[in-house]
Amino acid sequence: MSDAIDLSVDFAGLRLANPVCTASGTCGYADELADYLDLNRLGAFVTKSITVEPRAGNATPRIVETDAGMLNAIGLANIGLERFIREKVPLLEGMAPAVFVNVAGRRIEEYVAVAERLAECGAIAGLELNVSCPNVKQGGITFGTDPDQIAKVTAAVKAVAGGKCLMVKLTPSVTDITACARAAVDAGADALSLVNTFPAMVIDVASRRPVLANVTGGLSGPAIRPIAVHLVHRVWREVAGPRGIPLMGMGGIRTASDALEFILAGATAVAVGTATLIDPDTAERIINGLAAYCRRTGTTRLADLIGAVQ
Amino acid sequence: MSGKRPFSATVFKNRALRARIWRLDVDVEPPQAQTFLAAIPGQFMEVRLSDLSLPRGTEIPEDLRDAARRQIILRRPFSPCDIRKTTKGARLGVLYQIRGPGTLRMSTLGAGDPLSLIGPLGNGFDVPADLRRALLVTGGMGAPPIEYLAEYLKTRRPDVDVRAFAGAKGLEELPYEVRFDNEKGAILDEFRRLNVESCIATDDGSVGFHGFVTDCLHHWLERNSPGEGRCIVYACGPERMLAATATVAQAWGLECQVSMERMMACGIGLCQSCVVPVRGDGGTAVNKLCCKDGPVFDSKDVIFE
Ligand SMILES: Cc1cc2nc3c(=O)[nH]c(=O)nc-3n(C[C@H](O)[C@H](O)[C@H](O)COP(=O)(O)OP(=O)(O)OC[C@H]3O[C@@H](n4cnc5c(N)ncnc54)[C@H](O)[C@@H]3O)c2cc1C
Ligand SMILES: Cc1cc2nc3c(=O)[nH]c(=O)nc-3n(C[C@H](O)[C@H](O)[C@H](O)COP(=O)(O)O)c2cc1C
Ligand code: FES
Repeated sequence: MSDAIDLSVDFAGLRLANPVCTASGTCGYADELADYLDLNRLGAFVTKSITVEPRAGNATPRIVETDAGMLNAIGLANIGLERFIREKVPLLEGMAPAVFVNVAGRRIEEYVAVAERLAECGAIAGLELNVSCPNVKQGGITFGTDPDQIAKVTAAVKAVAGGKCLMVKLTPSVTDITACARAAVDAGADALSLVNTFPAMVIDVASRRPVLANVTGGLSGPAIRPIAVHLVHRVWREVAGPRGIPLMGMGGIRTASDALEFILAGATAVAVGTATLIDPDTAERIINGLAAYCRRTGTTRLADLIGAVQ
Repeated sequence: MSGKRPFSATVFKNRALRARIWRLDVDVEPPQAQTFLAAIPGQFMEVRLSDLSLPRGTEIPEDLRDAARRQIILRRPFSPCDIRKTTKGARLGVLYQIRGPGTLRMSTLGAGDPLSLIGPLGNGFDVPADLRRALLVTGGMGAPPIEYLAEYLKTRRPDVDVRAFAGAKGLEELPYEVRFDNEKGAILDEFRRLNVESCIATDDGSVGFHGFVTDCLHHWLERNSPGEGRCIVYACGPERMLAATATVAQAWGLECQVSMERMMACGIGLCQSCVVPVRGDGGTAVNKLCCKDGPVFDSKDVIFE
């Protein structure tokens, strides 16, 4: 009976064995996670953000825990494009799941420079355009809150992406997320991912100072899940569903039920972020849980549940 | 591959040593027991405390009542103070200070309770073959890995002369059993049992030397000098104490290894939250991960805050 269940999904032409993926910035470049999880069971792997030049990131403390969540202000710390291609891409080559590389930059030319080089790497199935990082002074969220900028950077990267699946990652921190979604899709995005973290702040009342060295950080974890589900549902109903664009939903997913909420709301794939930091094998447990749900409910094709909320 | 997953240990015992300082012992079965028995002092583990309930309201100290209400999600890092073989596997000792919602929950654990662990993690203290003398320096809750290092050296390296210097704000914050000896004054029982000479320093003078533990170390070096052969200073505690220890060690031309602390979200190298700036090749600062490259670093490399 169990082998009759089909967890696979079609994600913008990529066949994913199941919808469960890693969320950028919570899984390193894959090798860090390999000791804790069977990477080959994932639907897709999404790397930490890559920028043209290496970035040291922000000062510490870079994280602080809050009620049912955490703030991070890592500041896109990463090894830079050339070292990534030299040291990390070879490790990604043998991986069964589709690999998405998350791309960040301060200016459009920087996004283009990274995308151009990555387009040459056969091991990479897609690019996730991070136009929504709340923790850097330039670029990041300043791109992601302006539909015109989203359109420009999406179109520019699309032109050099050489047929790689282009996924644009949206920030939840806007009045109308559908305007941003529409701008990305109109400019050529093959898929959308949402949500990135919410800009937030925690103050230490003893010292009367912000806890994070960066003052603010991005809120993630279970605390944001219902908001993220709502935003996925809106984008699915108003933009992605009608246009046939798949969504990768994320925000506080810890269990198969959490993942199913996103799928029912319209997500074709789901990504696990903060929960991986706590239990690095969470993604695998979610995959098992999805299969169990399908068995329990007599669902033979998980893909039938995408956007199926009544 | 994927062999380091979270696993379940079983609580053997959990008791208060002082109002805010507790000792937890957990039993670990094979195969993880073997990896912990091979662990090196200074390595740590990530403990899942989020599923535990809080102590009863009245048992929560006044100053922690607000913090106690936080719904925690992240694991908490702890360095074992003791790892020993048992008939069924290994028993790990965790010495912990109650300071927030995680450790408050930890204090409710009772014998037989399951506890999810990941570890051993990171790099511990390096004990080279030609080591002749080890000077151990701890401040406050830096005690656990140093206590384990003392025992480790005593049982595995009888050729090394070991001496400890322990500091804290005051007696209540000193995470050891303190005894009073007619001749030597206050001594630490954990070190006495190992036959390791120890010296106590408290900021408020409530026990031992009134002042910093690094002054104790310096005075001892003035009186005794490091002696012949390779001598290493091993330290764990607040960053300012580590920086001061490094300065004393440098003044005496001694090597010094420090175990650093950072806020850690994952403890396994995934999130980049725990960086420690170190001097890279050519003198430029590069970030290392406290959880993966550390928590033990050569003090010469660390750029202290
Ligand atoms: C490698 C490592 C080993 C450790 N070993 C021990 C140990 O053996 N015994 C022990 O009692 N404690 C140890 N700690 C510190 C311990 O992890 C914290 O005390 C604990 O996480 C506090 O959790 P809480 O929820 O009770 O308090 P929280 O409310 O989370 O924290 C209370 C206070 O402690 C500070 N704090 C919390 N976590 C850390 C951290 N990781 N580093 C520095 N400061 C922190 C916070 O800034 C806050 O002021 C270790 C930390 C590290 C990084
Ligand atoms: C520590 C940390 C680092 C992150 N780094 C990145 C990043 O580099 N690029 C990016 O697009 N998103 C980054 N994110 C956002 C996550 O990919 C995800 O969108 C968000 O955390 C919501 O999912 P979650 O609640 O499951 O964590 C980061 C999140 C965390 C917690
Ligand atoms: S705590 Fe996550 S990388 Fe060190």
